[in-house]
Amino acid sequence: MRKYTFIGPILLILIWAVAAKLQLVDKFFLPDPFTTIGKLVQLLGSGAIIGDLVSTLERVILAFIIALVIGLPLGLLLGRTEKIYRSVEFIIDFFRSTPATALFPLFLLVFGITDKSKIAVAAFASMLIIIFNTAYGVMHAKKSRVLAAQIMGATKAQIFRWILFWESLPQTFIGLRSAISLSLVIIVVTEMFIGTTSGLGRKIIVSQITYEIPTMYATILLAGIVGYLLNLLFLAAEKRFLHWSGK
Amino acid sequence: MSTAISVQNLKKSFNNTEVFRDFSVGVEQGKITTIFGPNGSGKSTLLNILSGIVAKDGGSFQIENFDHFQFSYIFQNYRESLLPWRTNFENVALPLEIQNKSKQGIQQRVEELQKLFEFKFNWEGYPYELSGGQQQILAFIRALVTNPKVLFIDEPFSALDYENNLRLREHLQKYFLAFKPTILLVTHNIEEAVHLAQKIVVFSQRPTTVLEVIDNPLSYPRTVQSLKVEQFHQVKDKVLSVFQKAANL
Repeated sequence: MRKYTFIGPILLILIWAVAAKLQLVDKFFLPDPFTTIGKLVQLLGSGAIIGDLVSTLERVILAFIIALVIGLPLGLLLGRTEKIYRSVEFIIDFFRSTPATALFPLFLLVFGITDKSKIAVAAFASMLIIIFNTAYGVMHAKKSRVLAAQIMGATKAQIFRWILFWESLPQTFIGLRSAISLSLVIIVVTEMFIGTTSGLGRKIIVSQITYEIPTMYATILLAGIVGYLLNLLFLAAEKRFLHWSGK
Repeated sequence: MSTAISVQNLKKSFNNTEVFRDFSVGVEQGKITTIFGPNGSGKSTLLNILSGIVAKDGGSFQIENFDHFQFSYIFQNYRESLLPWRTNFENVALPLEIQNKSKQGIQQRVEELQKLFEFKFNWEGYPYELSGGQQQILAFIRALVTNPKVLFIDEPFSALDYENNLRLREHLQKYFLAFKPTILLVTHNIEEAVHLAQKIVVFSQRPTTVLEVIDNPLSYPRTVQSLKVEQFHQVKDKVLSVFQKAANL
């Protein structure tokens, strides 16, 4: 089935090229794909965009790590005691449903116009997703395995460490994958609106303001590639560590 | 003969369906006892109540010197009780890890059982790579690795083809002769029930009572040949007659 993977993208680029060629859209607003890709290659080759790429990646990874370090243990803890989870479920669901972007002003007040506030917003939103998925995974563990361990005389701690933790992993990984994607989205958006000197988001907004349209498209393309590769990385990790999932 | 498990006046209902009203039974120590009876007569429920998974509504029961570390229960859905993230060896080791046994001790015990069961496993592989029959054997070895004094088995052979079924019966007997645990086995297969047991307890329909406890005096090990002898047929016919009345056939 692998050979089918490229049909869609090739078709999209073809339509894009035809639309540009026939001038269906003003060339100024939509450069043809070869100009755009050429621009991206040039930006990467000259190193002009590397600084922005690194800044964005640093923020995304930092936000994700903070979310992971706080969210994972909290999720496990909450999932283990359903009563506690039920009592904070509303708060988690509420903030999970609140657009993270609506929280910018609040985080700006607390952290100022710094990198910290960008990372904090992204980490906060990602953390909620990790907490929710991890807790859900623990709570919905298969009862038969827990029963088996109970009959063997396992203590609560042993059941948690050897059964529940593992049972929760597939759901936890879904949470991690969503969290890294969300971190990227939020970081890029904050880079556009919270003052900074580097980052893909800033590059996009600056090239839009200065009408460097090919650069804008090239940067959007790069942000897309980064998001896709991060997703791919997590899928590969899942395949490696959760080879047993669903079996 | 001393009694290993005794049940007095047990009561249990599920949503207004009365399974046990005033149920009493005794299970002798160091013997294989099988429970045979119609569908829904509470065979598995009895094992679940005795092992503490399901709460009773009334009555009482005792298991002599009950200790979780010397008790094993092989579920009917054994597949869902194996841990797919652990290798086959780690699965078998789990009960001993729970008891904080040393790695060496675990290794030794597993090798001992492997010899007895004459099965070659890829110990570094995972349960999901095994066939249903091999998974069942893995669940058996995991249950026996603690050297239990009391062993519950629920429909142990239902997922196996006849050939592997007979083979596993042979291994179970070997284990029984070597370690003499008290085995309580639930089955809806009359041949299994008679082939393995010294005592066959026949259940009635709900609310369940013990219709009769039938002895099978044939000596162990009982081979495939034992299935053909006159005495086997006599016991089996007796069980069938009691069952026939119970199931209104």
